[in-house]
Amino acid sequence: MSPSTSSDTRNDDRFENLRQELRRGSLPLAVLAALRTEHYGYTLRKTLASHGMAIDEGTLYPLLRRLETQGLLVSQWREEDKRNKRFYRLSPDGKLILKQLSIEWKSIHASLEDIF
Amino acid sequence: MALVDRYLQAVKFWLPRNQKDDIIAELSEDLRSQIEEKETELGHPLTDAEIEPILKSCGSPMAVAGRFLPQQSLIGPALFPIYRVIIRSLILYFLLPWLLLWMGIAIFSPDYRADHPGMALFATLEPWWLACTWSLFINTLIFALLDRSQSYSQRINDWNPRALPPVRDPNRVSRGSTIFELTIVVATLAVWVQLDVFHRVFHFFGLTVTLSYRWPEFFWGLVALSLAGIVVSGLNLAKARWTRLSASLRLALDCGSSGLSYWLFRANLLQSLSGNDIPSTEAARFVSFLNQWMARSAIWVLVVGAIIVFFDIRRLRRVDPGV
Repeated sequence: MSPSTSSDTRNDDRFENLRQELRRGSLPLAVLAALRTEHYGYTLRKTLASHGMAIDEGTLYPLLRRLETQGLLVSQWREEDKRNKRFYRLSPDGKLILKQLSIEWKSIHASLEDIF
Repeated sequence: MALVDRYLQAVKFWLPRNQKDDIIAELSEDLRSQIEEKETELGHPLTDAEIEPILKSCGSPMAVAGRFLPQQSLIGPALFPIYRVIIRSLILYFLLPWLLLWMGIAIFSPDYRADHPGMALFATLEPWWLACTWSLFINTLIFALLDRSQSYSQRINDWNPRALPPVRDPNRVSRGSTIFELTIVVATLAVWVQLDVFHRVFHFFGLTVTLSYRWPEFFWGLVALSLAGIVVSGLNLAKARWTRLSASLRLALDCGSSGLSYWLFRANLLQSLSGNDIPSTEAARFVSFLNQWMARSAIWVLVVGAIIVFFDIRRLRRVDPGV
């Protein structure tokens, strides 16, 4: 491997790690925003992916559980297409937190724009 | 679908008991939805080979289950740095020197190997293994308990910047310790001169002790090293910090002292011992025992010398080249 290739790979790795870190931080906000409309896990993943926020099962389901434990989501098992599915939506607390987080997100975005 | 069931069973094994079924039902639904979508796309039921990439993209069963578990640590980030320093010091200044010492003795002492032939040689390392296991276990246990103690966590957060130690200058030499060192060297030389140790034969308490004819070589070597030591202490006293010159001199001195001491221990120092009340055979046996014991212990002298030299080299590397 030539030195430039090795350096490129290292840069790619570093970029990928930082990108993942950046996206990981914004996932709860994306999930809360998407759950203003009721979804079950799979359709939620599809919705997020269609908006450029792809998330794997191993990350989404533990996050949904955490948000539900914190009282920000409510869930319900229901039959659809002859299969049992768990549907999630925002709780009243979740709506409030989503509003606050959206303001915070816009503020961070504005600050970063200002720094850039 | 047998592959999916096997996957879900493997994930289920690691999940918390009260959430197992709920999590598996949800994960199962997601995987089946993915498979259904792929089947619609391909127009036929998926084979195991086609299901495999779907499961692989989901992650290893243990990793997937791990994300559902609460984040736990035996020793949290607040205490971990202290734990790391203690374990590092334990290994570096206790367990590693012990192991090196044992290796030194095992390699360089034929008598030791003869006393512990074959696997019995490794059995002599048992106390070291026990010390390793117990010291690591007890330290980890103490830190894990401290981490769970609310009062300790509170104490860590309740800190005062003014109570922090002053900035340490590793090249600074305290005048007090230099004066103490000088006093010891001068006093030792004075006592030796007073005792008239230039000679090989000493008389005290009715005993006559005759040292090896090589004693004066050691003695004058020691006097030379002591005088050089006084010069180094003088330099330190004047500058109050290590310089390239003083650190290099200290390294040379410690190398010389270690070599001289090793040589002394192997030189059969005691030639004879006599006294009115001591039978000559007993005296000869004692002389032989002492010389043999010193020869066997010489390796320890070398190890201690090597440790001192190691620290001297570290000091020399640390000294600002411009000083």
